[in-house]
Amino acid sequence: MPSGALLFQSVILGLLLGGLYALLAAGLTLYFGIMRVVMIAHSAFLILAAYLAWWSHSRLGVDPLLSMIVTVPLFFGFGVLLQRMLLARLRPVTLTMMSVLLTFAIALTIEGLLGYVFTGTQRRIQLGYGSASFGLFGARIAVVKLIAFGLAAVALLTLYLLMKKTTFGWALRATIQHRDAARLVGIETERIAGYGFGIGLATAAVGGTALALDTTIYPSLHWHWIGPLMAIIVVGGLGSVPGAAMAAMVLGLTQSLLQIPLGTTWAQTIFYLALFATLAFRPQGFFGGRLAQRF
Amino acid sequence: MTTRYRRMQWMTALGVTMTLALGACGGGSGESAAGGPIVIGISLPLTGDFSEPGKGVQRGYEAWAKITNENGGLLGRQVELKILDDQSNADRVVADYEQLIGQEQVDLVVGPFSTRLVVPAARVAEEYGMLFVEPAGAAKEVFEQGFKNLFYAAPAVANDHYNHLADYLLALPEDQKPKTAAYAAMDDPFAQGTAYGLKEKLEAAGIRTLVNEVYPPNTTDFGSIAAKIAASKADLVVGGSQYQDGVNLIVALQQLQYQPKLAAFSTAPTNPEFAAAIGNKTEGILSPTGYAQDAPYPSNQEFVQKYTAQFGAAPEEDEANAYTTGQVVAAAVTAVGCAEQGECQQKLVEWVRNNTVETVVGPLSWDETGKPKGAHMIQQWLGGEIKIVLPADAKEADLVYPKPAW
Amino acid sequence: MPSASERTMAAAATPGATPAARVSAPRPVGRIVQVALVLVLAAGVLSFPALAPNPYILSAGIVVLNYAVLSTSWNFVGGFTGYISLGHGALAGLGAYGTALLVTRAGLPSFVALVVAALLVAALAVPIGFAALRVRGASFVIVSIALVLILLLVFQSWSSLTGGSRGLVVPRPFPGLLRPEHHRVFYFLFAALLGLALLAWWLIDRSRFGLGLKAIREDEDKAEALGTPTFAYKLVVFVVSAGFTGLAGGLYALWFGDLDPVFQFSILTGSYMVLMALLGGVRNLFGPLVGALVVGIALEYFKVEFGDTQLHLVATGVLLALVVLFMPDGVLPAVGGLLNRLFRPAQSSIREVTAGELRDQRAAEAQEREPVDAGTTAGSGEVRP
Repeated sequence: MPSGALLFQSVILGLLLGGLYALLAAGLTLYFGIMRVVMIAHSAFLILAAYLAWWSHSRLGVDPLLSMIVTVPLFFGFGVLLQRMLLARLRPVTLTMMSVLLTFAIALTIEGLLGYVFTGTQRRIQLGYGSASFGLFGARIAVVKLIAFGLAAVALLTLYLLMKKTTFGWALRATIQHRDAARLVGIETERIAGYGFGIGLATAAVGGTALALDTTIYPSLHWHWIGPLMAIIVVGGLGSVPGAAMAAMVLGLTQSLLQIPLGTTWAQTIFYLALFATLAFRPQGFFGGRLAQRF
Repeated sequence: MTTRYRRMQWMTALGVTMTLALGACGGGSGESAAGGPIVIGISLPLTGDFSEPGKGVQRGYEAWAKITNENGGLLGRQVELKILDDQSNADRVVADYEQLIGQEQVDLVVGPFSTRLVVPAARVAEEYGMLFVEPAGAAKEVFEQGFKNLFYAAPAVANDHYNHLADYLLALPEDQKPKTAAYAAMDDPFAQGTAYGLKEKLEAAGIRTLVNEVYPPNTTDFGSIAAKIAASKADLVVGGSQYQDGVNLIVALQQLQYQPKLAAFSTAPTNPEFAAAIGNKTEGILSPTGYAQDAPYPSNQEFVQKYTAQFGAAPEEDEANAYTTGQVVAAAVTAVGCAEQGECQQKLVEWVRNNTVETVVGPLSWDETGKPKGAHMIQQWLGGEIKIVLPADAKEADLVYPKPAW
Repeated sequence: MPSASERTMAAAATPGATPAARVSAPRPVGRIVQVALVLVLAAGVLSFPALAPNPYILSAGIVVLNYAVLSTSWNFVGGFTGYISLGHGALAGLGAYGTALLVTRAGLPSFVALVVAALLVAALAVPIGFAALRVRGASFVIVSIALVLILLLVFQSWSSLTGGSRGLVVPRPFPGLLRPEHHRVFYFLFAALLGLALLAWWLIDRSRFGLGLKAIREDEDKAEALGTPTFAYKLVVFVVSAGFTGLAGGLYALWFGDLDPVFQFSILTGSYMVLMALLGGVRNLFGPLVGALVVGIALEYFKVEFGDTQLHLVATGVLLALVVLFMPDGVLPAVGGLLNRLFRPAQSSIREVTAGELRDQRAAEAQEREPVDAGTTAGSGEVRP
């Protein structure tokens, strides 16, 4: 049976992974909160950011972390444009369904373009400290994984402060909670929604950079991410950022621990089991999320 | 009310579309005049998941066609390749061979890349009675389908890749022999085949399996698998890998500071970018290979030289296997004296089955299922270079066991 | 209240009918034309194998027919209820694997296995639908995508049963047939299945059940308030759709012979179904069929034109985005509307006008069209005068 050391190691790996899931799921659930949109292309943008990080490292020789100076504002702008130019054009009646198709189409387009520009070859950033690690009570923590986790944690914290402590965050939360009421009290919900989308996409830029540090990337990788992320936001309660973060940590940890007895493939099914169980027994999600009942 | 009229409108549109479709499909059919070139049909994964090795195979075929034509072609006719892209998709690969055989009327077909695509493709060729020599279907399942026209143009199937290594390990004195092993293999018939071929032999000899992990091809995070292997402290670690997963697994193992006595991975370590990809911590890693650039076989020198001139880099195993495929087909065509669809194909099949062909990977011959009768060489990374260490008669250096720390 | 899209549809379609026809349609003539066109269509489909110059073209025809069956099956859910499932590819994959496993493991005859497998898929659709349809739109789509991903994992991992990544070989139902003959037989089988699916869609379209479903599409809350058992209706039509999709998948398995989880449980299959149905028009019996023809041919074209790049994905993505943004009722209805507008500039479609004109026009239309809209909402124009 698994030794204590292996369990401890798995817990650490699970927490590190859960942090990344939390950041990405936060972005995904944010879009839903703002516009009732399931943003299938979120993980495609994630992979795009990862490619940009890889490209800037291998072609320009820049540390991948520095690529965020460009990608984060760039993605923010993308997000605003995406919301204002495309999603806002859809008819409100069919918005939820059509936005899925539209973002699905965007995901396909990004995947195709990545394949066209960078070919289907799997890529990995080769860092000098790529296999460096340090010990912690018998477990080993890889430096790159810790950096990735740190990035996710900082980004999440920023997001939290932004939403809780600023006027913009107040307006954003008001828009999420009740759009019409928000408009009545003078919030420019359209503009706020656009910025909210930009922030969501900016988290994908940070997440993509974190992802690129320690894993291989290839154009169709985003399908591998969107499934777990969607499950996380449903379990956490659609539209609830803290719920998504909680669900991400719990599921990331569970997946990591389940890998010991079940192996990699079966452990992944935990996300989908959690998804089906949530919808069957508690459609509003387990960690808040008043919104979800209706969608 | 309005619906009916809408429908009429619709059906008109439909009729027009159908007509267009029929018209569009009518065009194009092959010309195979006796004096014209010999057209060889190939479907390759030039896009999608297998595109990287697929392009390698394509280069191998192109090199073969060029060299063959420079040497006067086959039966006095030039060789022309007709390559379609199957997008790494089994549906497409079948449609491609249907198209090549049925519509383009190619004279010969040769195989695509990856076991997953070889089996459906081989069935099409089989049912149209075409000879099917293929460069990539190495898993044993390929040879269990009852194909009569299929031949694998490489020294050994996946499960036999580590035969020399198994013999070496089992011949060690009792006190040095490894006691335990950990296996991790990609869920892919070829990659799994290599690891499980070795696993079977070692288990039969009493070496205990502590970890046996299978991961899906899309796995990118190997932390947990590595954690399990490291925690088991197995003497040996064997990876049934393609390229990138092998790299990731090795890096993940190194992150956990796991130091096995022997580490063997398929495919990845023979890649020219491997050393850089794992930060040059390659010392002692083993890998089976079916091809060596400096192998002494007569045609190999010409191949390496002309290939390097054509593409600016020396050929790898995928390229060599494609070239070998071409050599096998060429030998059969030359010996039988024909190359067209119909009865000729059966004669070609008969000839390949009963003869040995000299190729860039050595002499090849096949059993009745089309399985080659050979084994792979074993290479090891020593002092920053990869060298052949097994079998004894081909070695460039001695195998180092237990391996130094990586 | 009619939804915006319904109004557009009416606007696009009405100009095709003369005012006289709108009041009292020349029913016998219309029916004769209609029947004649269906016959021409059927004759066209059935004569294709005789016209196909070689087995490759015939096999391409089977692929297109398979697409047509799949998208028509998809349209039971998408067209009637407006719920967009991206996971129908998984149901086809289940049908394929179900058939294959029943043949190879349980030893059932091929076509018995096909029917049993389709029934099993339909049965399995009950719990899936239960989880997916209890909640509205967004969760439904999430579940449908998750379905593809989880089944891919399961079928790949459970290799002792499914063969995993080694694939599964389905024995030929007619082992004696040569390949061209094999194609011919399956071409007709697929054509028959398509006919069956179209017939079922047509029957539902005309039934009370169909009315209820369309009410869900237009406004689920109101439909529920008016006493339509929305959940049961959605579930039933989802199960019917799953059954037909399973049949299509199973028939494909028998024809194709090799199954691999990666290709059977591919998210792309589901998206092609959606694209085909949307392209042709989800409110129309023959919409998905037309979409399948267009997409089937377009896919070939993309491959020939952009063969060795990933641009076919871009093309698919851009096409889907364009359809969603500009022609959510289908390209061909939009083209039809445009043509009508060209020939009858007076009755211009509400598309491609400035926002101001649109507002005025809408107001005018809403007044003028009140009675028509009432009929359209209830039954999409099926109500007899």
